[in-house]
Amino acid sequence: MPLGSVLFAFVVGALIVGVTGANPFSAYASLICGGFGIACTQGENPALQISSTIVFLIPLITTGVAVALPFRAGLFNIGAEGQLLAGSMACTAIGIKFNTLPTPILLPMVLVGGMVAGALWAGVPGVLKATVGAHEVVTTIMLNYVAQWLLRYLIIGGPLQLGPGTSKSLPIGDGARLATILPASNSLIIFGLPSSVFRVHTGLLIALAAAAAFAFLLWRTSFGYEIRAVGQSQKAARYAGVSVRRTIIVTMLIAGAFSGLAGAVQIAGVDHNLTDKYFSDTTGFDAIAVALLGLGSAVGIVLASILFGALHSGGAIMQSDSGISGNLVLVLQALILFSIAANFVGQIRRLLPGFGKPAPLPPELPPAAGLMSGAAATPPEVT
Amino acid sequence: MAHKRLRFLGVVVAAMVLAMACGGTSGGGTPAKTYKIGLVTDIGGLNDKSFNHLADLGLERAKTELKVQGDVKESKTGDDYIPNLADFATKKYDLVIGVGFLMQEAVGTVSAQFPTVNFAIIDGAGTDAKGNDLKHTNVQSLYFKEQDAGAMVGAMAGWLEKNGKAKKNQHKIGAVGGVSIPPVNHYIAGYKWAAKMEDPSIQVIIGYSNNFTDPAKCSGVAQSQINQGADVEFQVAGGCGLGVLQSAGKAGVYSIGVDADQKDADTSVIASALKKVDVATFTAIQSVVKGQFQAGALTFSIANDGAGYAVDNFTLPADLKTELDKIQSQIKNGTLTPPADIPA
Repeated sequence: MPLGSVLFAFVVGALIVGVTGANPFSAYASLICGGFGIACTQGENPALQISSTIVFLIPLITTGVAVALPFRAGLFNIGAEGQLLAGSMACTAIGIKFNTLPTPILLPMVLVGGMVAGALWAGVPGVLKATVGAHEVVTTIMLNYVAQWLLRYLIIGGPLQLGPGTSKSLPIGDGARLATILPASNSLIIFGLPSSVFRVHTGLLIALAAAAAFAFLLWRTSFGYEIRAVGQSQKAARYAGVSVRRTIIVTMLIAGAFSGLAGAVQIAGVDHNLTDKYFSDTTGFDAIAVALLGLGSAVGIVLASILFGALHSGGAIMQSDSGISGNLVLVLQALILFSIAANFVGQIRRLLPGFGKPAPLPPELPPAAGLMSGAAATPPEVT
Repeated sequence: MAHKRLRFLGVVVAAMVLAMACGGTSGGGTPAKTYKIGLVTDIGGLNDKSFNHLADLGLERAKTELKVQGDVKESKTGDDYIPNLADFATKKYDLVIGVGFLMQEAVGTVSAQFPTVNFAIIDGAGTDAKGNDLKHTNVQSLYFKEQDAGAMVGAMAGWLEKNGKAKKNQHKIGAVGGVSIPPVNHYIAGYKWAAKMEDPSIQVIIGYSNNFTDPAKCSGVAQSQINQGADVEFQVAGGCGLGVLQSAGKAGVYSIGVDADQKDADTSVIASALKKVDVATFTAIQSVVKGQFQAGALTFSIANDGAGYAVDNFTLPADLKTELDKIQSQIKNGTLTPPADIPA
């Protein structure tokens, strides 16, 4: 079915290109060249294209997981972007403050710091959802804005600003940086280009590990079982002795840690400082599409991330080679999402039992139920 | 089954080899050299009615007048700067142009990786992460004397106040800057300096919105200046500044646009201070075509027609026209030098 959605998007995209009088085949050829380095005709370097696709897909995997995990518990985490920003801010702050520490100490510090910040950022909506029933869609969206404006303050006039008149932070210390997979040298020639051009970094391994951890957590641990139980039916889960509140809060904390890790890896592996480009970052929103397209499975998320990463890096090539606006890529992404939504309306409803209802907490929970969560943890006998 | 897959793989590999081989040959053979120019926009995109749009106009002019091949990549996010610049450089373009100071670091990084490719950057230099100019020998910085353009519109505002031709004529005018950074303050410096030159009793109210995108923020700052009696409002705040123009329109006072000709933004716009990014872009391309590319800073001002002003929804009185022409020629020949820092 996801393949059908992608196919649908590309067919409609081809029609749009055709209607505007351009050649859809040359558009897609250059898109494929830009994304995968295959069949390039205008002198693109295939290795460079593959490298930039990988750089783009790394944060998509980790944030995709951060959307998919709450999704399994029936929660819609729209706040992956804010959590990613929280992670990148924490990573930068720690990486600057302790910039003299060596890699073995500082690198884990910035990555864990990013995870903790992201977890806190997602934990707030989690706690609010579990205690007062505030809908996580609203709270996570709002916290995205809080993160964006906090970031803006930090690097424009705030404590992380590089200097007056700039809108970026100091660079993080060398010890806080993730190594690139190829040596970052301007003189060493690999694949016909200086090796520093290829920016693929070891964050790729971290992202793949995150996807694996997500699958393990969901399918091989009892907590994963609880997440799925809550996602299927909160009532049934409660009856089976699962603490719904605890599950919601812990799920959001873990999801936020994944997003925060994505932000920290982006700073440690690619940017090395916070800049104004994070004002317009959309990774956390693309992640929603990635998680949906990947059907919430680890393998699916990795594949969907590859597709979206390739679309991103292919768009620029398409514009310069075929003269078709790179915005077509955004149209394709929207069409993919659209057709998924159209095909899976029923499924989304099933996965999100609380979505659209005014009171997300089940009505039979009495107001003082917070005090009873201990009692709820000792289950009645279930056959 | 396995056999079939293997054959398919073989076909794919053959296609790739063929494609790469074709790519290799098509680049070299042509006898008359067509210069290839790559333009990378910042996240504003081509339709920003400002920098990126003007740079594209310069490229289009070069395509017709200099017969260059010009290709554009719009950056969707800040993550695109480096890949977009690197792709043009990989294809050995003769000049790769980055638009705007947001791309400084990216230009600094990529120009080090491709020392044989020429780069130009509007309003910035190739820098390291700390914003220090790396002074690479393949990077040309295209800067502007914003104070020249600011002085022209400042003179206009000052003359209107002095001669009682503005709306309230309380000898008060305003300027709304986005953030207090050098390019913004250059404009305001020229504006205030020239207004004082025309009308020594004038008071110039300066405020900052600390924002470049949200018109509501600038609108608030402009409103308070108008309430204090200002009747000419100069916006130096990009998209945020549209709020200044609209507030002036609502209050029935004059406003002045910035960077590009903002005649159509509001009927209150009597003039625009111009930063001619199109001229700068064209000049940079021309220098490459003529084989005269030079690294380092190239500054555009009234003297080389890289800065100036446009008269918009307003008919210039003949006296004012004479006065402005006089000031423009004096700045051109160096008799008058608008200051880069805001005068007291």
